[in-house]
Amino acid sequence: MNALTAFSLWTQRNRWIWAAIGVLLLWLVLSIVTNRFSLSSLSGIILSASFLTIVGIGQMFVVTTGRGNIDLSVASVITLSAFVALLTIKGQDANLAIGGAAAILLGLAVGALNSLLVVVLGIPAIIATLATGYVLATATLLSNRAISGFSVSPALKYLASGRISGVPIMAVIAISGVAATSFVLRYTVFGQLLSAVGQNRTAARLAAIRTGPVIASAFIISSVLASLNGLLLGAYIGGAFLEMGQPYLLQSIAAVVLGGTLIFGGSATAVGTLFASILLILIVTTMQIIGLPPGAQDIVQGVVVIFVLALAGRQAMTRRAPVEPTDGDAAMSAGDRQS
Amino acid sequence: MSQSAVADQDRAAAKVPAAPIGQSVVSLTGITKSFGPTLANTGIDLCVGAGDVIGLVGGNGAGKSTLMRILCGAMWPTLGSISFAGEHVNFADYGTAEAQRRGIRMVHQELSLCANLSVAENFFLETPQDAATRPGWRTVYKARARAALDAVFPGNGIDADAEVGHLSIAERQMVEIARAAATPGVRLIVLDEPTSSLDLDRSKQLRAFIRERAKAGLAFIFISHKLQEIIDIATEIVVLRNGRTAWQGQVADASIGRLVQLMGGDANPVHQHAVSAASAQDVLVRLSGPLTSELGRDIEIVRGEIVGLAGLEGSGQKELLHRIFSPDRKQNSEVTRHAQAGFIAGDRQKEGVFPLWSVLGNISIGALARRPALGLVSDRANREMAAGAAGKLRLDDSRFQSNITELSGGNQQKALVARALVADTPIILLDDPTRGVDIATKQDFYRLCNEIARSGRALVWHTTEDAELLACDRVLVFAGGRIVRELTGDAITESAVVGASFAQPADRLAAARDKDAPATRLGRRLVDAAPFIGLAAVLAVMVSANPAVASIFGLDLLLMPALSLVLVTAAQMFIVGGSEIDLGVGAFAGLVSVLSATLLYDQPWLGALALAGALAAYAGLGGVIQARKIPAIVVTLGASFIWVGLGYALQPTPGGASPEWLSALFSWSLGFVPTSIILIAAVALIVFVIDRLPLGVVLRGFGNNPTAMIRSGWSPTRYALVRYLIAGLFAGAAGLSLTAINTASDINSGNSFTLLSVAAVVMGGCSLLGGIISPVGAVAGAVTLSLIGALLGTLNVSSDFNAATQGLILIALLTLRSLTADRRSEQ
Repeated sequence: MNALTAFSLWTQRNRWIWAAIGVLLLWLVLSIVTNRFSLSSLSGIILSASFLTIVGIGQMFVVTTGRGNIDLSVASVITLSAFVALLTIKGQDANLAIGGAAAILLGLAVGALNSLLVVVLGIPAIIATLATGYVLATATLLSNRAISGFSVSPALKYLASGRISGVPIMAVIAISGVAATSFVLRYTVFGQLLSAVGQNRTAARLAAIRTGPVIASAFIISSVLASLNGLLLGAYIGGAFLEMGQPYLLQSIAAVVLGGTLIFGGSATAVGTLFASILLILIVTTMQIIGLPPGAQDIVQGVVVIFVLALAGRQAMTRRAPVEPTDGDAAMSAGDRQS
Repeated sequence: MSQSAVADQDRAAAKVPAAPIGQSVVSLTGITKSFGPTLANTGIDLCVGAGDVIGLVGGNGAGKSTLMRILCGAMWPTLGSISFAGEHVNFADYGTAEAQRRGIRMVHQELSLCANLSVAENFFLETPQDAATRPGWRTVYKARARAALDAVFPGNGIDADAEVGHLSIAERQMVEIARAAATPGVRLIVLDEPTSSLDLDRSKQLRAFIRERAKAGLAFIFISHKLQEIIDIATEIVVLRNGRTAWQGQVADASIGRLVQLMGGDANPVHQHAVSAASAQDVLVRLSGPLTSELGRDIEIVRGEIVGLAGLEGSGQKELLHRIFSPDRKQNSEVTRHAQAGFIAGDRQKEGVFPLWSVLGNISIGALARRPALGLVSDRANREMAAGAAGKLRLDDSRFQSNITELSGGNQQKALVARALVADTPIILLDDPTRGVDIATKQDFYRLCNEIARSGRALVWHTTEDAELLACDRVLVFAGGRIVRELTGDAITESAVVGASFAQPADRLAAARDKDAPATRLGRRLVDAAPFIGLAAVLAVMVSANPAVASIFGLDLLLMPALSLVLVTAAQMFIVGGSEIDLGVGAFAGLVSVLSATLLYDQPWLGALALAGALAAYAGLGGVIQARKIPAIVVTLGASFIWVGLGYALQPTPGGASPEWLSALFSWSLGFVPTSIILIAAVALIVFVIDRLPLGVVLRGFGNNPTAMIRSGWSPTRYALVRYLIAGLFAGAAGLSLTAINTASDINSGNSFTLLSVAAVVMGGCSLLGGIISPVGAVAGAVTLSLIGALLGTLNVSSDFNAATQGLILIALLTLRSLTADRRSEQ
């Protein structure tokens, strides 16, 4: 009993464990049911998950700023960035630096625009990023027309799909990114400020935290990561096509929530996002193996997101309920409504 | 008018059951309520008889609020029972609605009115049973509101049609009290600090009213910190202390001194701090301009002094604190600060604690906030720093690892003070810091403030407890947003403060506010008219480019496709009215379109069943969002995948056919007016009618203030279901119209409507915060947006720019709106 409570306390602090357990179980089941599953097929899954992880980490920063903030422009940024990469690199390794710079610039510009709308003008993040996404969609259409042909620089191709002794390079990139993010969140002032802003923005402001720059940096990180991801994803699939970023919209949010980052903000876990990304890709792969039609795959993903949220919503509610009776007025307040 | 008021009052009085004085109305027995390890109430008995006026007193945190919540059905006790006139009621069956049915009404300290509704509509929310679904139902409530207000507060001058958001705090308080008193069948009214924002005359009127109604058999529970009021009005007094009944008896046996003693000793702060430090004439804050014009000189706050801010609630004290904390950067600003300032909030839940963190985390953030963002954090350094501050506060550092929410209110407040100490700022601003803190901690707190001031800092202290002002060296009294008196030393007395608070007419701030730029008001009006201006401009351009557009056929051709977006916009408007956003509404319309072109065409019964099922699923989504308190955006985004997935599974490629009757619904013609215009106008009319019905008022109420709605006995989950059902019906109609207009279906045909509907709703003047429905504006916005494609075509611009134009219009509108809106709601 005591060990059980100790474990439940530990899982409360380490919510990523659930996604990790999910990965382990699903993988075990899959390898037993189908004999085809091996370590090498897992490495393929991890390669796909790496792309999702990179977007997911960015999304996680935005979600952690609280008040239901979500970056809905990531899908358009990924697509546009893949097109921009084609246009700037033109299949030549020599142009790689320009392409990388263009991708980062694109991310910075979109992130800055989102921050301007959200932080300075006070437009709700969902609407602001949705609108930015629409503007980017037109940019994508225009660059689609400007494309002469698909060719990918060999170096970038190697980065996106190569392996070093069986380990995908992308996985190394994603895992180092996760490690760096974990460090930033846990051991830097910025990580603490981000968490404070996400938990209680008014309290953060009154504690002399400049909330604007903190929130803005989260949006910029998200856009830059999405843009870099678009660059690599384009190299991986060997080109670019309209709507190529679309699946990453829901999946990145799902990865964040499934991984144990609180949807209400204030607490993030990069490791959880990594495991949840692998879990989501595993689920999609499983559905493909079973042979479900694409429509059914959409349905399963939607159901997973709603189901996990419904469970997590309960958790957050009970944990946030004031334990303290002397402060009467908070006990029955309707919770942290956006205002 | 006054005659009808009297008549109405008589009628209301007649509805009170002729309860003989003294007969039991309600009694609570052995109420115990635990929150985790702490007991908020321990074995409390409370019996209320008809005609009783029970004065309920006790320090903050004594358990009054918990007890009243249990009485009103907002909370269930751990142990104990409740009975009405001897009839035992099971707590499992007892909620706010049941408490209301049994005649219990509570006037909350933090007011429970919906600011976006009129006074009369707020009366309706409290007693919905008299509303009939017919035009003119409001007049009943208007008359009742008028009569009730006049009965309690003669000569109040409050308009029953006025929007509550435009009333002053005192007026809202009066409305709320009158609303509770006017409820037919009311037997017991609980008043929580009813006079905190009323002036002396209104307070006297209220007490006279209570006395009169008590004679008629109505019971009252009167909660107040103003003990002389309690002694004046109560027939019986109950003193709570630490969750237990400390004393219960007749008012004749009580005196103010005795009550104070019973509540937990002498709360009066002893003034120990002489202004000796003022010799260091080091000015930290300077106040000037209109703020101090009543005094005729600037005010300087120097090192080593404690300055109190007093006055009626909402007279500008809090604003001053915030202005000192983040002053305008402009030259000749009224408030200038010459050193860093720290803030200690009294509303700990909303403005103080970081609930996910430990006590240590909550303290050390004070220092972290002032360090460069890329610096590294060390637990040990944090602990050493915090230990120093905590030692001064007698805050046990063995609790550093506990979650902050596990601490009592007093200890949380100590942690917040520690946060300000580690931040080490010369100025410390305190916003009613002793709210909800027990008396022992308060004494500690006053002692600490003295020490802090003596160490050479300046304290600016806003308090709502007048007695606390005695701990200050200087008191600035506010009225109407300005400083009207400055009291120093022995001149600081409670009566002097109260006297000065009422000395000035309270309309100064309002006058100052009205001044705010006519340009802003013009801008706001322009933004409101944007959808109409936009529509007119778009049509004008198109007609001038191609006169054939102006024909009936031309308009029909142009506007028919807009109908689907108009319907989706209507759906989105109801969701946004509840301060949520549906990112799956377009996909849902697409799914309905697919269902109607496939199943409904091939097998009408199965199709109808499937449509009903989809609608139920959509409404259920609203229920899930409400019941689990999860963000609607993510849920509806997830749902959009489900809708699209279902559509794909049913119909992998576009196709199908429209049932004949469905096509007929959209293809009739009157000849002289375009059919599309009639249909679009009909949608606007239906939305308008729903909104004007009692149902619409309830939905808007939930959009504005769900807490107040729950207190009035409305079920949030049921109305979330209703809201999503209505939205689902409109979105479903949009799907049907897609099938009829295109005579085929495509699951992706509705996708673009999602953002466009949000844009149209925002264009139409609805606030994303909820509570506003504006049918005509939103419909005009929807039509404008759906014409963008055709407009670009007319102007020979590539359709690639369609999305960007729509996105930019949305951004431009929201920008304009945020620039012209008053920014109060943003904080």
